[in-house]
Amino acid sequence: MHRPLQLALFFSLNAVVSVQAETIQFNRDIRPILSENCFSCHGSDEKARKAKLRLDLSDEATREHKNGTPIVAGDLKKSVVWERINSTDEDEVMPPPKSHLKLTPSDKAKVKAWIEQGAKYEEHWAFVAPKRPALPTGNKLPAIDYWATQKLIEAGLKPSPEADRYTLIRRVTLDLTGLPPTATEVEAFVQDKQPDAYGRLVDRLLANPHYGERMGLDWLDAARYSDTNGFSIDGGRHLWLWRDWVIQAFNDNKPYDRFISEQIAGDLMPDTDDGKLIATGFQRNNMNTHEGGTIPAENLVNYNADRVKTLGESVLGLTLACAQCHDHKFDPISQKDYYRIFAFFNTLDDRAADGNAGVNSLPSALRKTVLKTDELPALLARIAALNQRLQDPDPKVLAQWERTQQQREADRKLGLKLIPVKLLKISTPNSGGGFTVEGNQFKGITKTAFDILGETPQTEAPIAGLRFVFPDTLAAPKPTKGAKAAKAAKAEPIAAKPMDEFAGRFVLTAVDVTADKVAGDQVNIHRLQKFSHITADAWIEDYPAKDVRAFNVLNQGWSPPAGTGTHHLTVTFATPITAKDQPYLTTQIYFGNKMGGAPSEGELFAFTGHDDGTDLPEFVLRILATKPAERSGEQQQALWAYCAKHSDEMKGVRTDLANAQERAKSLTEPQSTMVMNLSAKPRETFILNRGDYSQPTVKVEAGTPSKLPALPAGTPANRLGLAQWLVMKENPLTARVAVNRVWKLLFGTGIVTTASDFGFQGQWPSHPELLDTLSVDFVESGWNLKGLIKQIVTSSTYRQTSRTSAEVLEKDPANRLLSRGPRFRLQAELIRDQALQAGGLLVPQLGGPSVNPYSPFDLWREVSHYGSSPATSQVFVQDHGDKLYRRSMYTYWKRTAPPANMVTFDAPNREVCTISRSNTTTPLQALVTLNDVQFVEAARGFAQRIIHQSTDDTARLRWAFLEAVSRPPSDKEQAVILKALARERARYTADKERAVKVLTPGESTRDSTIPASEHAAWMQVATLILNLSETVTRN
Amino acid sequence: MHPQHEFQNHLTRRTFIGQSARGVGGLALGSMLFPELLAAGTKTREGGLGGIPHFAPKAKRVLCLFQSGGLSHVDLFDNKPALHEFAGKDLPPSIKGTQRLTGMTSGQKGYPVRPPLVDGKACGKHGTWISNLLPHIQTIADDICIIKTLNTEAINHDPAITFMNTGNQQPGYASMGAWASYGLGTENANLPAFIAMVSQGTGKNPGQPVFSRLWGSGFLPSNHQGVGLRPGANPVLYLQNPPTVDGAQRRELLDDLATLNEERARELGDPETITRIKAYEMAFRMQTSVPELADISQESKATLDAYGPEVTRPGSYAANCLLARRLLERDVRFVQLFHRGWDQHVALSRQLPNQCHDIDQPTAALIKDLKARGLLEDTLVIFATEFGRTAFTQGGFGNPASGRDHHGRCFSVFLAGGGIKPGFEYGVTDDFAYNIAKDGVHLRDLHATILHCMGIDHERFTYKFRGLNVKLTGVEEAHVVKGVLA
Repeated sequence: MHRPLQLALFFSLNAVVSVQAETIQFNRDIRPILSENCFSCHGSDEKARKAKLRLDLSDEATREHKNGTPIVAGDLKKSVVWERINSTDEDEVMPPPKSHLKLTPSDKAKVKAWIEQGAKYEEHWAFVAPKRPALPTGNKLPAIDYWATQKLIEAGLKPSPEADRYTLIRRVTLDLTGLPPTATEVEAFVQDKQPDAYGRLVDRLLANPHYGERMGLDWLDAARYSDTNGFSIDGGRHLWLWRDWVIQAFNDNKPYDRFISEQIAGDLMPDTDDGKLIATGFQRNNMNTHEGGTIPAENLVNYNADRVKTLGESVLGLTLACAQCHDHKFDPISQKDYYRIFAFFNTLDDRAADGNAGVNSLPSALRKTVLKTDELPALLARIAALNQRLQDPDPKVLAQWERTQQQREADRKLGLKLIPVKLLKISTPNSGGGFTVEGNQFKGITKTAFDILGETPQTEAPIAGLRFVFPDTLAAPKPTKGAKAAKAAKAEPIAAKPMDEFAGRFVLTAVDVTADKVAGDQVNIHRLQKFSHITADAWIEDYPAKDVRAFNVLNQGWSPPAGTGTHHLTVTFATPITAKDQPYLTTQIYFGNKMGGAPSEGELFAFTGHDDGTDLPEFVLRILATKPAERSGEQQQALWAYCAKHSDEMKGVRTDLANAQERAKSLTEPQSTMVMNLSAKPRETFILNRGDYSQPTVKVEAGTPSKLPALPAGTPANRLGLAQWLVMKENPLTARVAVNRVWKLLFGTGIVTTASDFGFQGQWPSHPELLDTLSVDFVESGWNLKGLIKQIVTSSTYRQTSRTSAEVLEKDPANRLLSRGPRFRLQAELIRDQALQAGGLLVPQLGGPSVNPYSPFDLWREVSHYGSSPATSQVFVQDHGDKLYRRSMYTYWKRTAPPANMVTFDAPNREVCTISRSNTTTPLQALVTLNDVQFVEAARGFAQRIIHQSTDDTARLRWAFLEAVSRPPSDKEQAVILKALARERARYTADKERAVKVLTPGESTRDSTIPASEHAAWMQVATLILNLSETVTRN
Repeated sequence: MHPQHEFQNHLTRRTFIGQSARGVGGLALGSMLFPELLAAGTKTREGGLGGIPHFAPKAKRVLCLFQSGGLSHVDLFDNKPALHEFAGKDLPPSIKGTQRLTGMTSGQKGYPVRPPLVDGKACGKHGTWISNLLPHIQTIADDICIIKTLNTEAINHDPAITFMNTGNQQPGYASMGAWASYGLGTENANLPAFIAMVSQGTGKNPGQPVFSRLWGSGFLPSNHQGVGLRPGANPVLYLQNPPTVDGAQRRELLDDLATLNEERARELGDPETITRIKAYEMAFRMQTSVPELADISQESKATLDAYGPEVTRPGSYAANCLLARRLLERDVRFVQLFHRGWDQHVALSRQLPNQCHDIDQPTAALIKDLKARGLLEDTLVIFATEFGRTAFTQGGFGNPASGRDHHGRCFSVFLAGGGIKPGFEYGVTDDFAYNIAKDGVHLRDLHATILHCMGIDHERFTYKFRGLNVKLTGVEEAHVVKGVLA
């Protein structure tokens, strides 16, 4: 015998001693080794198979081949496999060196023991329907605790003691609602000495509407929910009705089998209704494109492939996507199996390039939300009250507004001097020519964005702004392509007036200006000039000058009346410029509106002094010119009406009203949502060679993988049949995968760590008996999710403390044995939500359209097709009022530029199905919780609430800790923080201006009765507490 | 992320922490937790995988100058006599073949050949032909190696640019820089390992969109995603303290925070908290190191002049090039620029000169600057794009509004620096720069070559995802392009 082989055997024999002590289990011990190292050449993929040898099937592996018998049960010497894996000959050894795969000594020992013990194969565990293993008689433990304890005993460990009450309520509240308990809830629970206190707590949490959000959030990742189309231009879409449906389904405790089957085939069910149709949006969450030039067949294959992939990973725990191009390398899923599943979804009547201009890609439907809330009466009352506030004159506000207006009127035209801007260049992205500049004139303007470069005129006084003059050379507007598209998409909620009623000449959507030292052909998005005013000499109703850059509503902008001569628009800079410092001026004018035409030409002037224009209409000017005492009641009322509708002073009320109205609308009116349907002429499905859309081979019919049970008898081979198949009792995967995902949500890791892969390459369950028990229980309970969750969170296993010792850490480093309570960092959304709650800012509204809270920069325009596309979501427009403080799961998710503060905490971009997020710790996370205005404002709000709790610092601190980390502070913590408080008090008492400034971030108003120094000092303490490691951790 | 990897990551963290947590009691916290603070000046790698690099790397850093939209190889690098001879005549069917066209030209009546927009000249010792639209790049011909036969199956922007940057046409995969960060970690603990910058082209603005997935981490742990660097008060998002909070005040808060966190971590036996304390400290250091790197006020006039006037325009390609040099100087592992606007379907004659002007001088200046500072020898420079453009015109021949469509069958990129043969051209296209005549280089091969320069064998650099050992080079065979190696 060669010496190296002897050595190898010696070492492996050493290992065998311990391995042989227990019986080898094929599924647990051997399949992972064979799958990782052998199956890609000796498995189910026929095309990749080498030497006509299969090691995945017992019959094949044990029959005689040309070079002998691969595996001879009980006889190591005759087993060629054993010989080959131990060979020292590079050409002989398996796996071949080229594969970079290698068996470890422990792998070899296992294989050896397995062959010696009879080389028994087992069906892959996850492909056999679960059975509930019996508990030994006399066992008093619930199943979860029994199976968990068994493993611990085997490893020489004990369960950890129960966590303290503080930790428990924080843990379970975060797990079930995604929000921490309030200080009051913590104290009540800690003081509740009844034995059923915990059970009641769990029941209360499961009944909390935030439960649906918490569970929904997890499903949004799996379903790759997003508010944009994803590919290429990544325009906006509307699918939030589906998100509403998900939240409601969890809150209703809709049985999981219904939850899944309605999403797969709700439209085809005999009792289909609005909710079931909305539910089918699940498989419309895939990315789509309207990129010009793409090849339709290719797009459609991509869309459908994503549906198969998502179904596999989210519902079945199978990496189906691996069989798109060839038979699965590891699992018994053939390419044919893949395309049979593909065929279920290939009957959709969707378009290859669709979904532009904010119009949902087809098929879409107008439906009302299924979200149940009882807020409507209060909401309507709020709307009425806000309307009333706009109605009832507020003399103080009116006086203040009038002072500003009178001042502007007095300044108007003072020193106004118009100077033509010498233009140098003009450009536009998608047109070859026909536009030019001459002197201060620009010509050949069409309905898109034009960038115009000019020289800043030399002037004595600084340049206060720019004026765009548009002569009336335009013929009556013709309906454009965009307008036709808008008309065609009648199903969409776009509040556009019909073309024939449109009285404007054109709509100027946006103006941007950059003044710079160097000549820029285009405006620089990093240096856009801020405007203090935008005025025009005339405008039609609903299209005032100040609506230039009002992107939040489609079709807004400035529009002068058609057929009334030359008109101009004037922008006044917030900071004047000079030719000396900024010799070049670049302006971008954008006619991105569906309405009207384009002005074809115009002139550009710079001006010094004051604009002679106004944003006030004639009748307001007349009233203002009349002394208040001489005005009629009607005049005064009209003035107030204008002030209420347009003044900055009343903007907050208007925002609140608009938000409330939108909310009411989202609850009561039909909205567009994307759904599934059956095409009248369904596409045929072929096996695609190498997954290539252009290489169809054999035609296939819809069906399920041959290795898994067939469709239930009598069910149609369509999505309805698929839905029934997914949730039938014989399906070995669906319940296990669901249970495992719930377990993962509560323990940080699943019983199967590869939560999206229950195939051969998936990890062996840490507690197989437990997984099967819970799965069988789950199905027998009628797929009762809340029941399952209650079963888990009331177990002693879940309630263990997460405190741990070095010894336990060494024996059970990743807590796979459940030796302690799980501990992990909160996910992105929860960290922000928690800060909002602490800050007293959280708006606990459920569901509805997505919102745009603060963003540190226009991260959309940086990457988007802004100015060159009717697609929506190309420029970021921040929301205001309540919309800044909604739970993070409602933050608008633009796939190509997802919310920065969420992504920093490992949130996925939702381009594809995500079952497991990363959980990293990075410096950028610290920057978010320390500096993001959202968190800074939350700290200020938290400080305010802390101050209001008590007048005693110690009591305040105690409350703050209970609120943020659900426990009182230790003496040492208290000492450290009180010292910090003293330091900050000293700082801000000495420098009050600094205190005032540090309190400014954010749009909510602070309680100004609190002295600024005191508020600022506590704000630092609040920042400290919100940044504690424990605050972002669930123990 | 694959749970097994997650587990390993946890182990790594816990090991590091297990050790420090045990010792914390007696020693000063600072020195225990932040050894690199004490060892300032010495360079040690943080993160990365054991065993990587597989062999001695030629390049320690990578700079990718990505020209987004599809840069025209026909106009800029791959001139052919036949393009002139056939000007205005249809591309011969034997050349056009059956390869697929995008929906924008597949229905076009004719396919008239369009010669390069302007002349070029043979440059450097090698006599590399480079368009006169790139006069500065002409001067670095002896430093670069042009690959003329790069090819991709993708013919539309989204799949093509995703393929180029992540090795797959579909979303969900890790970008080149994320792979580099994952495998090699960082040599500068004060800055992220992978930094990305986006600039807008002046030929076509807006250009085709770009996507965060192009610098994303895909299936890799998300801390490997590229960090954006932007002009303004927050070069890295959220970098700036809230109003009036200065460094000294923040320092005091962080000291309190560390005290509280450390105390609690010990009580709970929570190693993760120690990692978090460290992350807060690095964040604090970044608040100094990032503004310092973004501040170009100390750059000499000669340097600024070399990059051209646009260098003072924040967010421009030129400004980003200078920042790239400053980042590479600081040993940031992977720096990537995305310059938008290379998508000349229309008005090629108007747009292309502008695009070229944007990038010509700064690109050449950057490579010269790196060379002068001795950085080029161990920095791999990749000047790339997602596909080339057609030899035939899109739109009528001679029409000023016409342009060129996408062309993935063969296109030009260039490499320079660490491990690359300078002053060289690799691969030959046919007479119309339309097909590969010799030495085709698939994207996968380019990826394999990039990794090779970093000392990584692409076949052994894998990440377990969905049961597969996923590679940047994908599932099909890929080869290091030995011909471009020095």
